[in-house]
Amino acid sequence: MKRPPLLARQFFEWVCGNARVDDLVGDLDEWFHLNTQRHPLWRARMMYWGQVVSLSFSYGIRKRQRDARSGMYATSNFSIDMFRNYLTVASRSLYQHKYFSLLNVFGLAIGMSVSLMLIALISYVKTYDDFHEHRAHIYTVTSERTEGVDQYAYATAPVLLTEPLAQHPDVRRAVRIRAGFDETVKRVQGTVPLRGYYVEPSFLEVFSYRITQGNAAVALSKPNQVVLTESAALRLFNATDVLGKTLELEPSGLLEIGAVMKDHPINSHLKFDVLVSYATLPEPSASVKDQWMNYGREYVYVWLREGATTDRVQAELDQLAQRTYSGLPIKAVFAMQHLSDIAMGPDYRQAIGPKWEMSGMIVFIVVALMILLPACFNYTNISIARALKRAKEIGLRKTMGGQQHQIFFQFITETVVITLVALGVGILIFLLARSEFKSLLAASSALDLSLTPRMLLWFFLFALGAGLVAGVFPALYFGALNPIQALKNKVHGRSSAMRVRKVLTVMQFTLSFGFILALVVFTRQYRYSVGFDFGFDKSNIVNVPLKGADPARVRNEFAQLASVQQITFASNVLGMGYSKTWIKSPGNDSLEVAQIFIDPQYLQTFRLTLLAGTNFSDEAWQREQGIIVNEEFLKAYEITHPAEALGRTFDVDSTTLQVIGVVKNFHFATLRLPIDKFFFRLHPNQYAYAHVRVQPNDPYTLFSELEKRWKNVSDQPFSARFFEHDIEEAYSMYKTLIKIIGFLGLLALSISLLGMLGMVVYTSETKAKEVGIRKVMGASVYGITFLLSKDYLRLMLLAVLIGAPVTAALFSWFMPYIQYYSVRLNGWDILWATLVLASLGLATIASQTYRTAMANPAETLRAE
Amino acid sequence: MKTYLGELEELVLLTIASLGNQAYGVAIQQELEVRCSRNITIGALHSTIARLEEKGFLTSWLGGATAERGGRSKRFYEITQAGKKAVNEAKSIRDELWRLSKINLSLK
Repeated sequence: MKRPPLLARQFFEWVCGNARVDDLVGDLDEWFHLNTQRHPLWRARMMYWGQVVSLSFSYGIRKRQRDARSGMYATSNFSIDMFRNYLTVASRSLYQHKYFSLLNVFGLAIGMSVSLMLIALISYVKTYDDFHEHRAHIYTVTSERTEGVDQYAYATAPVLLTEPLAQHPDVRRAVRIRAGFDETVKRVQGTVPLRGYYVEPSFLEVFSYRITQGNAAVALSKPNQVVLTESAALRLFNATDVLGKTLELEPSGLLEIGAVMKDHPINSHLKFDVLVSYATLPEPSASVKDQWMNYGREYVYVWLREGATTDRVQAELDQLAQRTYSGLPIKAVFAMQHLSDIAMGPDYRQAIGPKWEMSGMIVFIVVALMILLPACFNYTNISIARALKRAKEIGLRKTMGGQQHQIFFQFITETVVITLVALGVGILIFLLARSEFKSLLAASSALDLSLTPRMLLWFFLFALGAGLVAGVFPALYFGALNPIQALKNKVHGRSSAMRVRKVLTVMQFTLSFGFILALVVFTRQYRYSVGFDFGFDKSNIVNVPLKGADPARVRNEFAQLASVQQITFASNVLGMGYSKTWIKSPGNDSLEVAQIFIDPQYLQTFRLTLLAGTNFSDEAWQREQGIIVNEEFLKAYEITHPAEALGRTFDVDSTTLQVIGVVKNFHFATLRLPIDKFFFRLHPNQYAYAHVRVQPNDPYTLFSELEKRWKNVSDQPFSARFFEHDIEEAYSMYKTLIKIIGFLGLLALSISLLGMLGMVVYTSETKAKEVGIRKVMGASVYGITFLLSKDYLRLMLLAVLIGAPVTAALFSWFMPYIQYYSVRLNGWDILWATLVLASLGLATIASQTYRTAMANPAETLRAE
Repeated sequence: MKTYLGELEELVLLTIASLGNQAYGVAIQQELEVRCSRNITIGALHSTIARLEEKGFLTSWLGGATAERGGRSKRFYEITQAGKKAVNEAKSIRDELWRLSKINLSLK
């Protein structure tokens, strides 16, 4: 018998795929058989091919293929009906197992909350600067400076670049900006601070700001002209029609308002109250070389022509840099950064305005994942552990023709349903914690976290993603169940799954333990810093910023108060600030030394100890003669005995000063840094603070008395604080850290506890019968509770054993970075953290195991 | 709404009806060729059958495997009640038009 062409049939079968076309193949064969009787074989074969092609493109085959996809015995499908069925089954199963559903929803909601904040933050920061019309073509020039071996990336660039850039054919405009306009304006109601930038008139062409009054083209063309924002105008004049008015600066200077603009949106990397004409700045006095080398606070923006790329401009910048810096001690290379990359870009130093550093974002992302993933794992754990409960359903589905991927899809749907519910709760948590979260961020004034449709869309997509992560393993597991075993109730959590579960639990508790430990240590660190012995007596001292008041008159006034014991003046507040200068002595290299200017009463007021020499003399000050150095200073010059230092002379700020005394080391800087070389100088012009030692009595009367006296010497508002409050505030960073870590720790701990609760409930349920039999055989409640809890206790113990050394190592590595004088992690910290973890963990476990142990065996054993 | 019945669809339905319980792919195509002198491709035939099935005018069952077919079953088609109604409507429209014809269509 002649055979039809095999290849044609194979082709046909391939085209039809899983559609049912047996009868058609039969028809084709029959035709072939008929054709061979009438035609030569080759002709019949040709005809067969023709028929195959004709059928392959026909609607008949397409319809059969479609039927195959959604037919009763479909092998791949997506039908709305099945989806609806999954939703129904999912909601029923969630409702039926309310307890677990609740655990899962809360766990996931807590886990997602931090990520929601992150998403809200990123989705807002992504909108930065998108109100500029020409945003697609605006770039800023950044620089990478090499000073000796140090290399740093800066957001700044020399303004000298603008001239060559402006002439480049690809550049439409190049504008220079000088940041750091920071003045106070005298008004009848008092002084008003103003901050802003010095810019050129073309600034308003490049960046899109809405000018409401005045002419943008000329508003910044002359010296001392400014463009004021409406909010600043309101603050100054209580009105917005202020065109042409003048601003009187403190202490001197006049600015004319050339235009008024609408406030820029807060999602801007440029942040200002006022734009001042660049011509206001004096001509630079430094040499051109110096201008190329020192360009702090100088920024260059470039607006490229339509269709131009950065390549040629960048090449020009490279050439310029090479030419300019070839003979200079400092090297710099320039790069172009697109406007939309500035707000959330690499960590450049001296950013012009609000900025969200990439490194901070990455830390945030890691933290968010550290909270989110354990929550997802919890879901995975609980779902797989409870496989037994769902096994019959899955077995039946499979027997009725449910395919692996259908079961998979069903369980993914179920997970997504639960994550969406959790998303709702998560958004609630987000709304509650939002303001607190904002207060922790440095640039929070340039952030708006209200819910927008766009943000909600991101939240939704994120929840879907989280659902997939949490649900993929259980879904795969259920999809792969053997229906025969499932129906015979022979499904058990696979031993490998159990191992993974244990590892995950240990990891979660290790994380929680780490957070608790960090919390304990940072709390101690804060108390330690605030109560630190700085080496000087800061109790009962009130710090009064002078704000330009005459020190002698202040002393006169304050000295009349009965409660004032001592008054002294200084240029900086100890423990918080100091200035630095370079000194030189014959035969030695220059050294950078920290300094504070004081008056002769200082050492006594702060109870500083002189090791050798004398204090500054009380005689009327004529010129600077002496310095009082600290012990570190002696070490730097290898002087072993304090007395030997007396009389040595040093060149400081173009005068020669003699060492007249040596003071015992004390913490003149913050505790973040080790004590360094330091000296006191005497110079009345430098005083910026009055320190008043008072009698410890009612602070309210004291302050009002001081204020009354203050009014006689200055028209500035009086501000004063106790030194100890200042110190507390200086270390409030730890309070923020404690808050963050406390919050994260709370989340991590709740997630771990919820996860463990789920597991314990599950084990207790499955072991109800075993417990019943044990009780009948005479086991005690205590013994059973212990039996059920034992495994979990072991896991927690393991978590502590892993967590303690890891956290300790982490602390000893990074604490010195945060603060040089820091607490060391000790056994007590670990004990405390362990106690917290153990008591919460035990309470969780015991609440369930005890209940199981107390159950009446007659009840549990009867339930068959 | 009345379902529109195409000319080829009508032919296929009637052919299937004329074949009785022997209406399967090959037979239908041969019958169309012999009786109606319509040479249509196998693809066109099955497209038409598929559309008729969608409209609910045809049902089918499997059976009658032979050696020539490599032991594969035939798919026999049968006209449904809806199908009968559809051909009847088509016929009555034609009859009506014949009757209304103002010129004598008779060839005698």
